[in-house]
Amino acid sequence: MTELINFVSISLILVGIGMYGLIVKRNAIRMIFAIEIIANAANLNLIAFSRYLGDIQGQIFALFAIAIAAAEVAVGLAIIIIAYRLYKNIDVSEYKYLRG
Amino acid sequence: MIDISSTPIMIIILLGSVGLAIPIVDAYKKEKGKNKNKLFSAITFGTLILSLLIIISRVVGGEPLPGMNFGNDVLTDDMFGSFFAVSLLIVSIMVSASSWNFMRGISNYSSYYSLLLLSTIGMILIAYSTDFVMLFIAWELMSIPTYALAAFSKKDPISNEAAIKYFLFGAFSSSILVFAIGFVYAVTGTTNIGDSITLLAELSASNQTPDKLGGVIPISYLAIGLFVAGFGFKMGLVPFHMWLPDAYEGAPTTIGALLAAGTKKAGFAAAIRVIVIGMFAIGLDWSIVLAILAVITMTVGNFGALIQKSVPRMMAYSSVAQAGYIMIGLALAPYASSALDGSLFHILNHAVMKSASFLAIAAVAIALASYSLEKYTGLGRKMPITAIALSISLLALAGVPPLNGFWSKLVLFQSAIDSGTVISWGPYLAIAGLLNSALSLGYYLWIIKKMYLDESNDMSRVKEPKAILGVLVFAIIFMVGFGIWHAPLLEFASISVPTHIDQIVPPFGNITQN
Repeated sequence: MTELINFVSISLILVGIGMYGLIVKRNAIRMIFAIEIIANAANLNLIAFSRYLGDIQGQIFALFAIAIAAAEVAVGLAIIIIAYRLYKNIDVSEYKYLRG
Repeated sequence: MIDISSTPIMIIILLGSVGLAIPIVDAYKKEKGKNKNKLFSAITFGTLILSLLIIISRVVGGEPLPGMNFGNDVLTDDMFGSFFAVSLLIVSIMVSASSWNFMRGISNYSSYYSLLLLSTIGMILIAYSTDFVMLFIAWELMSIPTYALAAFSKKDPISNEAAIKYFLFGAFSSSILVFAIGFVYAVTGTTNIGDSITLLAELSASNQTPDKLGGVIPISYLAIGLFVAGFGFKMGLVPFHMWLPDAYEGAPTTIGALLAAGTKKAGFAAAIRVIVIGMFAIGLDWSIVLAILAVITMTVGNFGALIQKSVPRMMAYSSVAQAGYIMIGLALAPYASSALDGSLFHILNHAVMKSASFLAIAAVAIALASYSLEKYTGLGRKMPITAIALSISLLALAGVPPLNGFWSKLVLFQSAIDSGTVISWGPYLAIAGLLNSALSLGYYLWIIKKMYLDESNDMSRVKEPKAILGVLVFAIIFMVGFGIWHAPLLEFASISVPTHIDQIVPPFGNITQN
């Protein structure tokens, strides 16, 4: 049980770091990194619970989630490359066409 | 193992093979330009129509299981899924036909239509999935193509900005979903939605002896809260709506229609299957949270729309408000028998009304190259059919009789008033909904007044894009026709709502009997 609590605490700390990055940082790549940290915290959570329950299903789901997160980040990085071509800058606070 | 001839598998095979074949055909065809657009648009349109016909024929033949079904498989073939598949396919058909006009200038036709088809599969599978792993994969299959589609105008900074905002919030919401699924898995030890709901109901029933289950109920409340947040980002509920107007306005307008009418409805499909059923298994206190979210969502959406100058942005805020009306049915599901009927009915109506209004805006953008409300002056003279379609869809959104939006709002508000016998705050939702409908008429009528009553210098007729015109005529027939004769749609909605909730969730049965 203490083992489970340790892993869940690490996962919650990672969520905290990720939320901090998402709220404070305005660089698009850093924001993607923050989201990835949160996604990996969620995967760690799943694996810890899967190990604690002695059930394999959670680990299978974590593998799916990792693969899908990779696909998601590939699309996100492509969008950011286009943004860099258009603005020569990836600071999200500089994008100001849409307001209101 | 699910049957190979069941509806979701047939849809995957049909749409998936065509969606993957389109880029291959593109690689082998050497010729460039407009012919490819025509070819791929026709293929996409035909495939979507074919799958719609398959689903409708199976529904008419009575093959899907009635109501909402939870099996041991990852997918089920039930009426609930079929209902959402029909509404989402109507949206995709309207979008693919209009893209023939709207997407004429782009470079990669094949990827556009291929992504459109793949995203459609994702949306449909969300409605059919009965396992959290399948639900998550379908959720991402819906989301990832739409990130790319939102950024499709590569030279346009506005489209790119919209895509970045949409992507950051979308990726964040999918991480939240993994967390929520992880917590449900921690409590129940299974990823099957039906099993985990049954286990949650048993746990909450045995919660009177908290000696060993002390920590379990808070974790399941946390999981439900995370589900509300994760699905809420796509549904556009108010604390999670900040990306939504930017994304709907900035994305290419046909994709704006897909996002507003398609992905949002898929979010509601997931929410009804997971949140509404699951959360009432744990306890009924949650419904007040959904009710508060509903009222805040519709109010913020309508006030936000009042001050906009850009028409797609106004429609984006209006779709936030419409999500609030649909939430009334979700919040009152355990107290009034017709609440979920009303929600589903309004979901189908909203899918057609909202995509019609977005596609009318797309037609104006092609002809006049502007989204600003100022340019809509005298549109009734310049583009008569587009203006009529836009007016009818706006009036239907506001709920003016005898259009279809009126009947679904009537069912929703009626169920809110009926629930007053069980729960004291129920009728206030109907009052909030009525006041908001009156408020929303303010900006809907403002657009209509601009189009018909205001004079502009140049009142000569402009050529209207043909494919969008066809789609809009279909939408007019749908909105007016089912406004006059709404019984079949309401019947379809009421056989699609979960019927045997009582067996799955014991507390639910007690409430409905009282």
